Amino acid sequence: MIRSIWLECYKLRRRYVGMTVLLMIGVEMGWAFMASSMSIARNPDQASWEPLIAMTASLNGLFAPILAAICVSRICDMEHKGNTWKLLLSMSVKRERLYAAKYGCVALILLLACLVQVLVMIGFGKVNGFEESVPIMLLGRLLAGTMAAHLAVIALQQWLSMALHNQAFALCLGMLGGFIGMAADLFPSAIRPLFIWSYYSGLSPVAQSYAGNQLEFIARDLGTELPMIGLLLFIGLLIYGAGRWHVSRQEV
Amino acid sequence: MQAIVSTRGLSKRYGSSYSVENIDLLVEEGEIYGFLGPNGAGKSTTLKMILGLAQPTEGSVTVFGKELAKHRRLILSQTGSLIESPSYYGHLTGLENMRVVQRLRNVPGSHVREALKIVRLEQQQNKKVSQYSLGMKQRLGIAMALLASPKLLVLDEPTNGLDPAGIGEIRELIKSLPQRLGMTVLISSHLLSEIEQIATSVGIIHQGKMLFQGKLDRLRNESHPTIAIKTSRNPMAHSLLAAQGLTPILQDGFLRLSHLTDAQVARINRELLAADIDVLRIVEHKKSLESLFLELTGKERSL
Repeated sequence: MIRSIWLECYKLRRRYVGMTVLLMIGVEMGWAFMASSMSIARNPDQASWEPLIAMTASLNGLFAPILAAICVSRICDMEHKGNTWKLLLSMSVKRERLYAAKYGCVALILLLACLVQVLVMIGFGKVNGFEESVPIMLLGRLLAGTMAAHLAVIALQQWLSMALHNQAFALCLGMLGGFIGMAADLFPSAIRPLFIWSYYSGLSPVAQSYAGNQLEFIARDLGTELPMIGLLLFIGLLIYGAGRWHVSRQEV
Repeated sequence: MQAIVSTRGLSKRYGSSYSVENIDLLVEEGEIYGFLGPNGAGKSTTLKMILGLAQPTEGSVTVFGKELAKHRRLILSQTGSLIESPSYYGHLTGLENMRVVQRLRNVPGSHVREALKIVRLEQQQNKKVSQYSLGMKQRLGIAMALLASPKLLVLDEPTNGLDPAGIGEIRELIKSLPQRLGMTVLISSHLLSEIEQIATSVGIIHQGKMLFQGKLDRLRNESHPTIAIKTSRNPMAHSLLAAQGLTPILQDGFLRLSHLTDAQVARINRELLAADIDVLRIVEHKKSLESLFLELTGKERSL
């Protein structure tokens, strides 16, 4: 499987996926840092990690679904464009294996993107002289939550990108996901869990609430987060299985 | 000779209509088998079923003496193919495309150089495939098919969209493969002229049904010449020849007879003159393979 994932990465040469990811992360983090800098300028006592993490998780709701859609689309549409399905299948490559390799490759790219995100957050904290030490646990939980949401979103995007030649549908779904991810906190709590994009901000390790006119940032209890991650991974697995089953049965 | 590919009652149905119906195809070792038929006849569907890319509705496929359904991986590891149009990653160079196939096929890197050399693409190997001409893409497709030194090469219309020079180049390449690399080639086309110059055996398919299968020479032998005789009194000449046990057909002012030897033609000429019927013309009409093919696949039909 590692060989198959490596081959998928090899096939991504000159697809500018790395550059696209860095650009998206750059825009998102630029936005997050600008907002945080303005907030710190107004309230110097809020110069801490929690607001930055909450802001990043919230912006992930907007950017991450689009980023996932772009990455999945880039890796899947090269098979449609070059008419390579027949080539691969006539070489006895199992479609299930190819499906898994593409999934693994996108997951790896987005994991690296999450790591870059965490690293630049640490850099921002250091530059702005946050007094507390780097909250490894909170940043690790942010990374885990984002990745759990990514795994489910990749599964859905891959199903669409593999099944349909026209990638416009997949990219539209990504944008719709971005809108839902951004607005999810405004949805009633009963329907919010139905949208996989809502988990980007839903799994944020830091919650924000208003106490009077003051915005407060509170670290969430890990115990409430774990069942949500479990549920999300289960949904992702179901979507992945359904997509793989469907795509494997399509005739070329 | 050993059968490399054989199908038995192979059929593919989409909805209520058959795209391929009851095909018994036989390709023997070392031959170039031309699979001929008009567009939409069912050639690509048949080849896809032979490669396991499409599931047959009925029938079975045997390759290298093994049933495809049970030994697909083993069979495909010894088969190279180019189906419909060349498959490639346009953003990668020719060499990188070959490396992808090399890793999937798990063959040594030296095969890449060799295959590119066979199709004469070494000079353009570092160019992005999206910048290749169609002919170069076809050659790259053939190089990919040749990479694992397969025993069987399946090529579906490999000269589609090529200019005459490109067609000639691909033709010469394919013709050389059985002798040079000991391969069996199954090639499809809708152009009789192309198959005529390459193939040793031929199968003609039309509307999903196999109309002819056998050596090309046998097909040529089926194109018997006819003798057309024009006389001053055709009805009388017709009666005279019929009385002698011949079966002339009066058509377009000519009496047409088939299966005649030179001696028989000379005798008929003498007898017509003896009966005071002037012989105005004696013309031999030989059916070309093209007209035979048209006859088999439906006259006046565009291929």
